[in-house]
Amino acid sequence: MNENLFTPFTIPMMLGIPITTLIIMFPTMLFPTPSRLINNRMITIQQWLTKLTSKQLMITHNPKGRTWSLMFISLFLFITSTNLLGMLPHSFTPTAQLSMNLGMAIPLWAGTVVTGFRNKTKISLAHLLPLGTPTFLIPMLVTIETISLFIQPLALAVRLTANITAGHLLLHLIGSMTLALTNISLFTAFITFTILTLLAILEFAVALIQAYVFTLLVSLYLQDNT
Amino acid sequence: MPQLNTSTWLLTILSMIFTLFALLQLKISKHFYLPSPKPTLTKLQKQQTPWNHTWTKIYLPLSQSQ
Repeated sequence: MNENLFTPFTIPMMLGIPITTLIIMFPTMLFPTPSRLINNRMITIQQWLTKLTSKQLMITHNPKGRTWSLMFISLFLFITSTNLLGMLPHSFTPTAQLSMNLGMAIPLWAGTVVTGFRNKTKISLAHLLPLGTPTFLIPMLVTIETISLFIQPLALAVRLTANITAGHLLLHLIGSMTLALTNISLFTAFITFTILTLLAILEFAVALIQAYVFTLLVSLYLQDNT
Repeated sequence: MPQLNTSTWLLTILSMIFTLFALLQLKISKHFYLPSPKPTLTKLQKQQTPWNHTWTKIYLPLSQSQ
């Protein structure tokens, strides 16, 4: 039972060769490169959306933080497109893999921390101690803040993995429940079907929201450190 | 849980790094947003006729009519 439930999350293999690389590189094919002054509709819409999201993301940063804007917008587009493509039935969602999310979260978080350390060492160290703490609490609070700092990349990765995995699992389970209930009672099957529809809408929202949250948090960590 | 099968982790991470840091960023860096048009100062025209620099008597037509 355990094996069957989690089989959509195994790395897809074709003749024993993992084809994950092709699946991960596929969303980039959906973003064509603009080559003309006035492009076709799809490229124009994508360019407009990119400009909208990057303005929204980078407005709170100082010029030093805005050098990261290409990184943030490509991160956001990557996670959004991968999550939305995972909503197709029987497709493989790379962002449900813990390995990939750890590989995204740890370098980005480490980059923000190292930027803060190199350029503003005293201020980034001072973030470890909130204002106005009583003197005798300082050692304990510094320990707690250090631990919460090191948990940030882990939380980023696990949050994305768990949300996408749980959503896909729920959809799978409720879908099979609806199918099993059609033979027993059609009315309950109908109720379950409405639950399934609502869940699917929620999953679309989650796909977008998770991308946003990931990018937002990394940008927040950057803001602390620039 | 198949996500914890570490045998494929290296491949996934490498392909993700290549896609995210190389492919996607190259594509998005080619997005061109036209800057809004600003009026530019036109340069002063260079003097094309060098023979008008020195004022000579022949330019005064009234002085010539005798």
